[in-house]
Amino acid sequence: MIVVMRAGATKQQIFAAVARIEKDGFSAHLSEGAERTIIGVIGDDRPVERHTYEVLDGVEKTVAVLKPFKLVSRDFQQEHTTVKVNGVVFGASSISIIAGPCSVEDRAQLLESAHAVKEAGAQALRGGAFKPRSSPYSFQGLGEQGLQLLAEAREQTGLPVVTEVMTPEQLPLVTRYADVLQIGARNMQNYELLKAVGRGSHAVLLKRGLMATVEELLMSAEYILAQGNRRVILCERGIRTFEKYTRNTTDINAVPVMKSLTHLPVLLDPSHGVGKWAFVTAVARAGIAAGADGLIVEVHPRPAEALSDGGQSLLPERFAELVQQVRAIAATIGRE
Amino acid sequence: MVIVMRSGASQKEIDAVAARVKEEGFGTHLVQGTERTIVCVLGDGRPVDQRKYDVMAGVEKTTRILKPFKLTSRSMSAGDSTLRLNGTTVGTKPVVIMAGPCSVESRTQLLETAHAVKEAGAQVLRGGAFKPRTSPYSFQGLGEEGLQIMAEARDQTGLPVVTEVMASEQVPLVMKYADMLQVGTRNMQNYELLRAVGRSGHPVLLKRGLMSTIEELLMSAEYILAEGNRRVLLCERGIRTFEKYTRNTTDINAIPVLKDLTHLPVILDPSHGVGKWAYVAAVARAGVAAGADGLLVEVHNDPAQALSDGAQSLKPERFATLVRQVRAVAASIGRA
Repeated sequence: MIVVMRAGATKQQIFAAVARIEKDGFSAHLSEGAERTIIGVIGDDRPVERHTYEVLDGVEKTVAVLKPFKLVSRDFQQEHTTVKVNGVVFGASSISIIAGPCSVEDRAQLLESAHAVKEAGAQALRGGAFKPRSSPYSFQGLGEQGLQLLAEAREQTGLPVVTEVMTPEQLPLVTRYADVLQIGARNMQNYELLKAVGRGSHAVLLKRGLMATVEELLMSAEYILAQGNRRVILCERGIRTFEKYTRNTTDINAVPVMKSLTHLPVLLDPSHGVGKWAFVTAVARAGIAAGADGLIVEVHPRPAEALSDGGQSLLPERFAELVQQVRAIAATIGRE
Repeated sequence: MVIVMRSGASQKEIDAVAARVKEEGFGTHLVQGTERTIVCVLGDGRPVDQRKYDVMAGVEKTTRILKPFKLTSRSMSAGDSTLRLNGTTVGTKPVVIMAGPCSVESRTQLLETAHAVKEAGAQVLRGGAFKPRTSPYSFQGLGEEGLQIMAEARDQTGLPVVTEVMASEQVPLVMKYADMLQVGTRNMQNYELLRAVGRSGHPVLLKRGLMSTIEELLMSAEYILAEGNRRVLLCERGIRTFEKYTRNTTDINAIPVLKDLTHLPVILDPSHGVGKWAYVAAVARAGVAAGADGLLVEVHNDPAQALSDGAQSLKPERFATLVRQVRAVAASIGRA
């Protein structure tokens, strides 16, 4: 951290800031410029609350030098983390594609989707049993019955299943059925939930909050790793901007940025990222070209009848084309 | 247009709205729902002024159905528009790469960079002589001298040149030297400038404003086309969002969306889109994978010495790698 003093800060104020730094167990390094003095705080000051310095007399601002996350950082671990789930590896050189309906609606719908996405080349099945919907009047998911259907689909297809958990209380139940626990965009900063999945050893798919920065996403991942669970997969899924033609704005920059900041695998969700099925394949190609380790794609056998996200769900045959196209792109950048 | 009446709007209010619609020469179609009435305005292609209806008693809101742009709309053109710049055509199958420094700084700098980008595979040279800088104290460009150097670089390399024009008065001067006029992001809604470049008949590279929606970009293009100039190339260059790790947020969704809405060619500027050189190649690959017709990339022979945008400028050898990677991605989607 760097403490920048105001122009005209008195010697006394500077001494007080230095004393405070030393009292916190760090050493201080003073640089006296022509206009103002800055103080370098030497030591691992990540846990320091910067605002406790910003309120000192004569301090203009503080500037963080270290990244606020540690365990998720590439500085901490150079090599890629791979997360293995029933034979599927996320973060390896080959890309992994998760696909399936937004919600588990009924047995026929899920099983049909599961077989279709498997045939098209997906490595894992997605499907929501507990659904965080914007409106309390929208379909809220089938709950445990949905989880049972997911387990049945796994038995039939061999695909590991990814499904959302919305509260710490649901965790034991969802863990019994799911291979990967999804923390949805709206729960990215539900810290009790993050700690709860962190205490377990189940793989976690952590989606970026729709108003969260890349750094905030990494801090949320840090919560999980800090509890001992390192099997975390990150997912960019579009952020909220002023552009209203699309449901969200896919932050494609976030893909190479996260790949450089963290060792964790990074996926892209083009379905939520753009929100209209006609553009999903183009955005999926972009994600892989930008270096994503895989995709999570919404597929529904009859999008027009879907109880949620029909507008952004692909028909199985269109998903099969997507898979072919993204695999061709993956090959050009040395990934299968 | 659809006029949604308030729930509880009186018959008199509904009649008054319908009468007003007829008075303006449009047809009406009334839909009486269980909770409220909506009045559909059946137009003949003439623009309807929504505000006139928004202020009427009993009206809750009006919703436009038709897109507000016409000449730029895909429905107005049989196929994709192409734009010829000397021997290079933008908007056909092959991806066109434009590259060069942010600013023309000196003869040596520009000529060295021009030869380097040509050798690396660029087909068009960029370089700013008139620079719209955020700070009035930053380097403002060499002006006409810069244009002369650009012309010399074209003579030496054969690359057509694109350079920015900032005011309608500059159009005659810049046209004398440039093969394509760039309207920069801060001038996207400088309507006098748009009309002037429209009247010029010269090819125009129109960049998206950093706080503009896709629809606003298309409306700005419409200004140029409405003056009779159809030689317009659109450029996504990142928008402003809450994410501050990157300079802008590349709106990758905008690529397939624009390609769907308009017949005009669309390119991506990954340099401004992400703002840090280390991520430019990944975002460039994403742009081409998403279907962009080309790229606009900042390259500098010595980024550390650049007078503007050094941090997002690629060294020539890194640019050469970018070109190889995007050409491979282009080939994998059938755009060699």
